[in-house]
Amino acid sequence: MSLERKDEYDHNAWLKERDLSVVEKTYLMTLIWFDRRFRLVDYLEILENMYYKINLQMPKSHTEQYNLDNKFWYWYPLYALGSFSVIAYLVAALTGALLGFYYAPSTAGTPPESYALLTTIMADQNFGFMLRSIHRWSAQVMTAAVFLHMLRVYFTGAYKEPREVNWIIGVILLALTVGFGYTGYLLPWNQLAFWAGQIGVEMALAVPLVGEWAAQMVFGGFSLGQPTLQRMYILHVFVLPFVVTALIALHIGIVWMQGIAEPH
Amino acid sequence: MSDNDSQQSEPATDGSGPGIVAPDDEVPSWRERKERTTGLSRLTYEYFERARREDQDLRQESSYVERDVLGFPAWPHETIRNLAISSFFIGMLLFLAATMPPTLEDAANPAVTPEIILPDWYLYWSFGLLKLGPINPELSILGGDKIMSDELYGVLANAVVFGAIAIVPFLNKGSARRPVEQPFWAAIGVGGVMFAFTTSVVAVQNLAPIDPNITFDLAFLLPLVAATITYAVLKTMREGYMYDLNRRYYRLRPPR
Repeated sequence: MSLERKDEYDHNAWLKERDLSVVEKTYLMTLIWFDRRFRLVDYLEILENMYYKINLQMPKSHTEQYNLDNKFWYWYPLYALGSFSVIAYLVAALTGALLGFYYAPSTAGTPPESYALLTTIMADQNFGFMLRSIHRWSAQVMTAAVFLHMLRVYFTGAYKEPREVNWIIGVILLALTVGFGYTGYLLPWNQLAFWAGQIGVEMALAVPLVGEWAAQMVFGGFSLGQPTLQRMYILHVFVLPFVVTALIALHIGIVWMQGIAEPH
Repeated sequence: MSDNDSQQSEPATDGSGPGIVAPDDEVPSWRERKERTTGLSRLTYEYFERARREDQDLRQESSYVERDVLGFPAWPHETIRNLAISSFFIGMLLFLAATMPPTLEDAANPAVTPEIILPDWYLYWSFGLLKLGPINPELSILGGDKIMSDELYGVLANAVVFGAIAIVPFLNKGSARRPVEQPFWAAIGVGGVMFAFTTSVVAVQNLAPIDPNITFDLAFLLPLVAATITYAVLKTMREGYMYDLNRRYYRLRPPR
């Protein structure tokens, strides 16, 4: 194999005969410059492929085939609950990242430092009160949407074969969403947070054999303190986001693969 | 061991070189290679071949109607619809956040137990399950002792609820989808939702002006009542529904 240059298309002659405007000429020169180096033309195939993946030649859906659309349109909002929980999750992630700039988990001092930081966020930061309000409400709405989504799936029988695996992933996601809410509930380190944490520790300790280990692991001890808050913080901002985001992606990916269980 | 050693010390004279060989006509195709395997990989290969053939047969037999136009276009139709719905939803969130901002309670104080200890609303049902102590059975063979503590009983109740939800698809089979087609499972669902509400009421019982004993009994009675009513109503509706379906059927294919 030789590296000698072969004949090339004379793009410059082609450009001359086209009689282009300056903008068009600059654009084409840039395109050719990059194409010489990266062979962009090879990637056109990927774009074309994506085009056909997005604009699929769809088979007629069940509702279309049996002309059920006129009877079922009023159920469609219930089919948006899954997307609603994802949107609420994204809003919570965004506001959570912003809140994270001003928050640190610490129980030191009176009032506890975390609590004092929350007071600062709500009283002194620009839009801090609104930010916390949005974060809290999106969490509430996400949980509500997840519960209602599960009810919709149950009452329309959408969990049936072949969708059992996705139903189980959904149940896990429900538990993790509630866990997200619980760990977030503990972060302000106010009275409600402290005593909700107390209930959590007692629940863990009630379990024989693994209970004490679980209490050490999740709550950092048998009584609440700095380790508890630290662990809740890490669970809330590091562990759960990765796990839940991955599971949501899997959940939606499976829905994409298997198709939506339509009403019939 | 010694055999292996002697093999390694000998120079490779079979032309195999360093192990990576350029593919040529001698290299077996994917299929040939798979057919040569044994054991589990052979089984896997055979199953996948069968599955592929099954798919092909199904596709050839099927009378599935394909459109002669492209589906609902992702751009702009679907995108604009999604943007509209998402914006509306985010607007709703901002509205809620602006009109009902959360409060910050007193700072944590381990010395003072508040009168009311409650988790967030979505955990009320779980918190209510922790208060099922009164129905934790006392076994006479243990001299009236309980087999487990009330706390453990409550934690197990939570696990049982999650387990029950998770195995639903393995219990309810078949192609029925609508509640009218499966009154029993719809009744189970309504009973379950009702139970979530009643256990929530048990959890907040120190806020409700009702005798705790009555709330506790109602927590189990109301779901049963709701499930029974749902079952009766759907069973009745199913008669009409099937009548309608049958009528349509016989109108299409009148009996001879």
